[in-house]
Amino acid sequence: MSDIIEELIEEDTQKGMYMTFKSGREHFGIAIKYVNEIIGIQKITAIPESEEYIKGLINLRGKIIPVIDVRLRFKQEPLEYNDRTCIIIIDVQSTVIGLIVEKIEEVVTIPDECIDPPPKLVHGNAMNKYVWGLGKLSDDVKLLLDPDKLIKDEDLEFMEDAAETAQAEEDAVE
Amino acid sequence: MGQEFSTDGMLDIFLFESTQLLEKLDELVIEKKDADAFDSDDINEIFRVMHTIKGSSGIMMFENIAKISHKLEDIFYYIRESQPDNIPHMELVGHVLDVSGFISEELDKIKEGDNPDGDESGLLEELETFLKMIKKEIESDKKKEMPPENVYVAPSQFYIPPVSTESSHFYKIHMTYRKDTLMSNVRAYSATYALKEVAEDLLFTPEDILTNEASADVILKDGFKMLLQAQCTKEEILGMIDSSEVEHIDIYECSPKEYQLGFDSNDAIIDLTSSVEEIEEKVAKEKKEPQPGDYVIKSKEVGKAKKLAKNESKAPKQTFISINVEKMDMLMDLIGEIVIAEAVVAQNPDLKVPGLELSNFNKATAQLMKITSDLQDVIMSMRMMPLNPTFQKMNRIVFDSARKLGKEIDLVISGENTEVDKNIIENISDPLMHIIRNSVDHGIETKEDRIAAGKDPKGVIKLTAKNEGGKVLIIVEDDGQGLNKEKILAKARKNGLINKDIEYSDKEIFQFITLPGFSTKEKVTELSGRGVGMDVVVKNIGNVGGTLEIDSEQGKGSTMTLKIPLTLAIITGIVLRIGSSTFVVETSAVKEFIRVSEGTVIENPTGDTAVRVRDEILPLVDLGKKYKIEGYEPNPDKDIMAVLEHEGKKICIYVSSLIGEQEIVVKPIPDYFKKVQGLSGCTQLGDGSVALILDVGGLT
Repeated sequence: MSDIIEELIEEDTQKGMYMTFKSGREHFGIAIKYVNEIIGIQKITAIPESEEYIKGLINLRGKIIPVIDVRLRFKQEPLEYNDRTCIIIIDVQSTVIGLIVEKIEEVVTIPDECIDPPPKLVHGNAMNKYVWGLGKLSDDVKLLLDPDKLIKDEDLEFMEDAAETAQAEEDAVE
Repeated sequence: MGQEFSTDGMLDIFLFESTQLLEKLDELVIEKKDADAFDSDDINEIFRVMHTIKGSSGIMMFENIAKISHKLEDIFYYIRESQPDNIPHMELVGHVLDVSGFISEELDKIKEGDNPDGDESGLLEELETFLKMIKKEIESDKKKEMPPENVYVAPSQFYIPPVSTESSHFYKIHMTYRKDTLMSNVRAYSATYALKEVAEDLLFTPEDILTNEASADVILKDGFKMLLQAQCTKEEILGMIDSSEVEHIDIYECSPKEYQLGFDSNDAIIDLTSSVEEIEEKVAKEKKEPQPGDYVIKSKEVGKAKKLAKNESKAPKQTFISINVEKMDMLMDLIGEIVIAEAVVAQNPDLKVPGLELSNFNKATAQLMKITSDLQDVIMSMRMMPLNPTFQKMNRIVFDSARKLGKEIDLVISGENTEVDKNIIENISDPLMHIIRNSVDHGIETKEDRIAAGKDPKGVIKLTAKNEGGKVLIIVEDDGQGLNKEKILAKARKNGLINKDIEYSDKEIFQFITLPGFSTKEKVTELSGRGVGMDVVVKNIGNVGGTLEIDSEQGKGSTMTLKIPLTLAIITGIVLRIGSSTFVVETSAVKEFIRVSEGTVIENPTGDTAVRVRDEILPLVDLGKKYKIEGYEPNPDKDIMAVLEHEGKKICIYVSSLIGEQEIVVKPIPDYFKKVQGLSGCTQLGDGSVALILDVGGLT
């Protein structure tokens, strides 16, 4: 019981807080409740036959976790890793994954009323589908990411969607 | 009921202890099942086990367990005292196993949080009849004087006769409980129970604490008094008594004379101010540092039958403790972290200043590395457990079910020392049990059928474990009737599982029996054959990433092979480098390393390559190309080639350089990645980097 309360309190203090980072020209934000920790770039072991943006595996204190390159995920030009490159370890529904980002910025508080839904942009913008909202700050705009979509394979998702649609259609027929 | 009084800790210990005792008992009984009779050590051992279980289940108030274990204890008491030589051994074995089975079932219920409500009366009666039978035989045959019967005394009245030694101390203990204490009689009993371990003599009043509930009121009113003769100090006694709910406890050391006087002189003596003050101080101290679990852990040997087995040497101290797996995982992670931190220190760029004198530093780091690598070895070995106990359990299952079916079956076990991760052991026990039961029930024929088929009337089930190609194989092989392909096909057809266009191989046909609701056995027996079985088995094995392979030859027997990936298991692997990537190959899969000249590499028009090694032409796999390793070009002149073998098939791969052989912990590649052919897992190397484990089976 007390655990639940603690959790609630914790969630409450984290509400509206976002970890922001830079990738390309854009600034992104990810809700802080997903973020476990931030580590420097590490030696990555590539896994053959995987998507280009999935860089491979790192060893985080004995736990072996996959890392993905956010730039490549957004179909931006790859960038050589340097000592500013960081890995944000996020935990999304118990999947622990590292996000390689160019540069960590800061933790900001964006109240819900300052978040707009993303505008319907022209197609072909790879990052659009991972953004669930635009956080307006006084001086700039942070693209708020949906980590769940970010780490999921879109092919897989597409298939799931297709299956769901098919299911829905079937249901409708019945 | 037990839960009200006991703390969870006590219940856990009770379950743990009783389970272990039963396991020991089963092992012993099964081992001796083919002997003519139990020898006196065995009888003492069984007696002791039953006595302990009776005692501890009594205190936990699981009455049916206490009764049944008491009855069996009676039988063994009788056997020990009068040593009859006409006991039907098999029947006795059966009874012991029945009792142990009953208690195990009840313990399982308790574990699940259910009430242990199994009905013991039937079993009790059987035991009673058996006891009467062996007694009567003695009486009529020999007219020998009967030993005094081991009358059922409630455990509370356990009286330990005085064994006076010079170093013994005599104590009067007076305990009062808080007025609102519930079931103070049971608490008092737990105190006597704790002291029983050290007591040479123990008397207490009121005497009927467990049997008479009204005694609780007496204890609340007048307190609980004990007379204790023991070799320990006051402090030790205090430590043993569970002090929760105790308002006041006085321990007064008295002379043997006062001790003889009994309780009556108690109050007068105990009022001596000096001693009370002193003791109160101790009580206060004791309360500040409560030692929960202290008494519980010590209860390991509580039930030892002192009054009956005085000359028995003390059992060796328990050298095992149980640890929360989470803590183990945490420790393992931390050690991983140490290894990385160590590498960071030892290979620190700051050390690369030219002309720096580092010989002492290097010595120190070498020492550190040795310790950390030992540490790593230890933690890894801690998680690993041999399959032995699991296999031993199967012994029991085979014996039990064969007995019920009137079959004679031998279980031959090999490779039981194969170590696997604890998680895996937990997950394979049930499936394995099911497979073995199936073999006994459906596989092995009845004696008559076996003789008619010209086989040895005694059936054989072989249970084997081994490590192979990154997997643990557990093989159950019987020499029974085998699976009936036609029957399976017919049934599959009936269930609409057959696709007419496909020709099924034998293995595929046998796989049908693992589908839900599939049982070719027309008759449902007590043991198996309800059609829920093999599908559950496959599901459970699947939970740890394993598979079940079935092979069978009609009339000759069947072989069920559980293939379980070595997830988290330790293998010895050879670490090698291909280009910039590091891979590990299980040592046993590596046949040899060779150097070849370019001339021996053959390329056929489709681009497949092969290499000639002495008289063999082996397929050559270029992992650099297959896995698109950047910047790697095979160079037959410079590279080494590794010849790998899996189930008789050999392949050759290019290797840029060899790093060494080491023990590695196999970890699964996170689900996030799609399954890559030829890779079975990954591991963390000593320097903290991650290497991929090659699955030779997947490459061939």
